[in-house]
Amino acid sequence: MKTLADLKKIREKAQEEMKLRGGNVRIKIVVGMGTSGIAMGAREVMKAFLEEISQRNLTDVLVTQTGEKGLSSMEPVVDVIIEGEEKITYGNMTPEKVKKVVVEHIVNGKMVSEYVVASGN
Amino acid sequence: MQDISLHLLDIIENSVRAGAKTIRIRVINDEIANLLRFIIEDDGCGMDSDTLQMAQDPFFTSKAEREKKVGLGIPLFKQNAELSNGHFTLTSEPGLGTVIRADFENNNIDRLPLGSLKDTLLGAIVGHQEVNFFVNLISKNKGKEQSFHFDTEVIKEELGDIPLTYPDVIDYIEHSLIEGIQNTNMEDV
Repeated sequence: MKTLADLKKIREKAQEEMKLRGGNVRIKIVVGMGTSGIAMGAREVMKAFLEEISQRNLTDVLVTQTGEKGLSSMEPVVDVIIEGEEKITYGNMTPEKVKKVVVEHIVNGKMVSEYVVASGN
Repeated sequence: MQDISLHLLDIIENSVRAGAKTIRIRVINDEIANLLRFIIEDDGCGMDSDTLQMAQDPFFTSKAEREKKVGLGIPLFKQNAELSNGHFTLTSEPGLGTVIRADFENNNIDRLPLGSLKDTLLGAIVGHQEVNFFVNLISKNKGKEQSFHFDTEVIKEELGDIPLTYPDVIDYIEHSLIEGIQNTNMEDV
């Protein structure tokens, strides 16, 4: 059983960590979750990001879902926004591609050019 | 959409876009009544009666013309409910919110599988930290009723400024949902 006491422990641990590294979200990931994105597998893409964050213990990444963005032919679409850099949009994403993006772009800071469909704002 | 959980996700995204602060999701699996019912209630901007009519029309969308010409989410959900000999109702009030109820005949051969409720709920909850979710799963079966409640407001209160995408929090929410889904027999419906 998961209890609220478990959450208290998580909170204490997270606050310690935040003290150590200044506590800001450094990277934002936005998964397009409009009707066509969902039909093309965006939920599985979201799931893969959450699994990677949890397994790799990435504490400075925020993942959100958003609606359609007019790139329906390239769904599922994902934006990666790293603080101080321009926005990178990946298209035709799959859980396998998510793993690569997390390792190369999120962890090592090098975008995966072959999946990029747009950059900048 | 391949399963009902994907429709549910689509509807949740509509509610978020309508500016909902609170989304209540109820799933009832009533084996005695041969019914699988979904009720999604939000406190978003709502719709007037004209928009309400059009929302069920596959050739309508509330999004700006240049962005997108059709909105298929609601019509497809409605169609899939009705294909299983079920019902679909959409009620709304401008300024108050929207309620969707979709009933599926449980043992109908044309009923879509439920799919992964866990993936839908986990993504929506973590992906929309600004929205409070109240999830209620109920299964009724030969006089036995089991239910599961999940309230993200309590969790956020407990966490303070720690985001829901913090790794241990993702695990916590995921495992709570898995437990609740198993206890109400909604893993593979």
